[in-house]
Amino acid sequence: MNTAPRKLNLDEWDDRYEQLRRDGLRESGYGGPLRRHVVREKDFRLQQLQFDNSPAALRLWNFLLTENERLHQARANGDKIVGTMKDLGTVPVMVYALPGLRAFYPDGAWWTPCLMECSDKLLQQAEAMGIDASFCPVRAMLPAFENGEHFPKPDLLICSTGAVCDDFSAIAQRLEHLGHSIFWWEIPRRREPGPGESACVLPGNLTAPKIQVDCVRTELQRVGEALGELAGKTLDDDCLAAGIRAANQVRRLLDSLRRTVYAAPAAPLPALEMLVAEMLAIHFCSDREETIAVLDGLLAEVQTRIRQNQFVIRADAVRIFWVNPVADLRAMNLLEELGGRICGSDYMFTHALDLIPENLPPLEALARTALADPMVGPTADRAARIVRECQAGRAEAVVVSRIPGASHCAREGEIIREIVRQNIGIPTIELEIPPVCDAMLPNLGSRLQALVETARARRTK
Amino acid sequence: MIYAGIDAGSRSIKAVLFDTERNKILASGLTDQGVEQERLATELFEKLLKDAGLERSHVSGIVATGYGRNAIRFADTTITEITCHARGVHWLVPDARTIIEIGGQDSKVISLEDGGRVRDFAMNDRCAAGTGRFLEMVASRLNMNWEKLSELACQSKKPAIISNMCVVFAETEIIGLLADGKPLPDVVAGVQNSIATRVSALAGRFVSPPVYFTGGVALQAGMARALEEVLACPVRVAPQPQFTGALGAAVLAGERNAAKR
Repeated sequence: MNTAPRKLNLDEWDDRYEQLRRDGLRESGYGGPLRRHVVREKDFRLQQLQFDNSPAALRLWNFLLTENERLHQARANGDKIVGTMKDLGTVPVMVYALPGLRAFYPDGAWWTPCLMECSDKLLQQAEAMGIDASFCPVRAMLPAFENGEHFPKPDLLICSTGAVCDDFSAIAQRLEHLGHSIFWWEIPRRREPGPGESACVLPGNLTAPKIQVDCVRTELQRVGEALGELAGKTLDDDCLAAGIRAANQVRRLLDSLRRTVYAAPAAPLPALEMLVAEMLAIHFCSDREETIAVLDGLLAEVQTRIRQNQFVIRADAVRIFWVNPVADLRAMNLLEELGGRICGSDYMFTHALDLIPENLPPLEALARTALADPMVGPTADRAARIVRECQAGRAEAVVVSRIPGASHCAREGEIIREIVRQNIGIPTIELEIPPVCDAMLPNLGSRLQALVETARARRTK
Repeated sequence: MIYAGIDAGSRSIKAVLFDTERNKILASGLTDQGVEQERLATELFEKLLKDAGLERSHVSGIVATGYGRNAIRFADTTITEITCHARGVHWLVPDARTIIEIGGQDSKVISLEDGGRVRDFAMNDRCAAGTGRFLEMVASRLNMNWEKLSELACQSKKPAIISNMCVVFAETEIIGLLADGKPLPDVVAGVQNSIATRVSALAGRFVSPPVYFTGGVALQAGMARALEEVLACPVRVAPQPQFTGALGAAVLAGERNAAKR
């Protein structure tokens, strides 16, 4: 069997898995063939995807696709489950600082209809609950909370409010009206400090008025008290500082992985696996220690491939910077099939990739990191970072993908395109990618292919 | 050397034979699109060859473009409509800086650099409101052909306001307008304005003159005027607008072959 780095479909992975087993593959408790997620969980979309062929990638996929199962197991083992909604990487750091608590991200249910090719009927059920298709696919979490067929009902449900998108706010309020009690904490919309106003430096080259940082710190203190009560242990500074150091270990690993993959002469790991790996930053896929092991494995695989000059995408692929996660994972494969490769990304949680300052009081450090969330600040700030990272990654084109119904900034795509065009003049396109994009594949393919052609033509002056 | 471009669009298949040595279009033709795309394209291609007194062996390369390009298996390669329309329009009118292409099921705005290279582009997502499909629906509802629709649009004194951005709902709105006694020419011109408004939203801020209008919908009298009004700049209809994609494909086939040699 050809074991050189390459992409495999699910049938090919069946054979590859058997071979790996015969060769003595050692797996974690959640290991197994990818096929079982189709058979048991009805994750039919996997049959349409191409996967990296490494054992490290297999572990990543199994880790991602067993999250609900692992959460139920953790509950059975006595752990308390905390749902952290509208939170891309702040409260989970606090949750994992306490023993016996596990954070998960109910909003992540938005991927379930895609993975299950809508066989779960979550979107239709959400519609019956009054949240129709004009809302973000995150609405899938409403029936998931109600039917209990996916994640376990959390012991504590925490949700940010304030500078969050309107549709999410509506969905979360609907959830509360359905009887799911929510602990709300508020985050203000980030702004530049006014003249003479005390300012704080935030991760990601940003600043905010001290008054905003103080406000978020006070809110996070309330969150910490609630978590401490649930855990039966006070979340003190020492405890939180240790949690921050562990979270930073994940962030450092992700940073190394991103730098290594995106800067390599050709892609040593496919875009799809990179997207999934980056998503681990949000809430560690409900297991911080295992996240570290999964990322360690991926990084080692990538480093080996680069040393051996082995890649999964050909070297002349067009370098694309991708903005926003896609609802249908098939889109990431499609880009590579059409001659592109990812050289940088902004999947909406870039602040969760930045190190949390370890030289500040822990709550202060977390408050500053929370305020650096690209979704709580102006799109222009986000676009400025995209421009910097496009330049660093030598991007030849930008794709801004849109999630139907998501409304954190209605004109976000246009603003990012305009700022990218003004600053670096590379072609950019905006794509709307629904949870199952099969019917739109010819249209999506045409636009991605045209982008690749345009960028390639620009190489020859 | 002779090259062929086949543009398999959603409504029709267009083909062009191009002589790179004489820098000249030898033949062009179109046929209605259908289920058997490849057979239709082959018949059209063979007819053009016959009309031009050529054999299949005289053609040094074929590029397919358009929505159905991947179905044209006798082509040597495929290139997207964006690149092909840009190349075709640039060959015809080298001063073009913005191209608006409205086809049967999609619309595109292409920004060109000096030399005709694509700088950037935008294309409609999944809504038919800014495409020729809207006009087709109106023609079908009014039981008339495209030429008649064009004539009517030119007679409009006060175009109707079509407020719905969705073709399906707009159909109901159009029926209502006609039932209220709104003159037919005003309704048709209103539909043209509605399409132009959608395309201008797509164009955003990257419209630099000269602007050329291409694609089958460019043949609709009144559409260029509607675009001029919303874009607030002159819009010229490209020569042979329904063939620019196929022409670009043929020109690119020649350029690619030359680059290989």
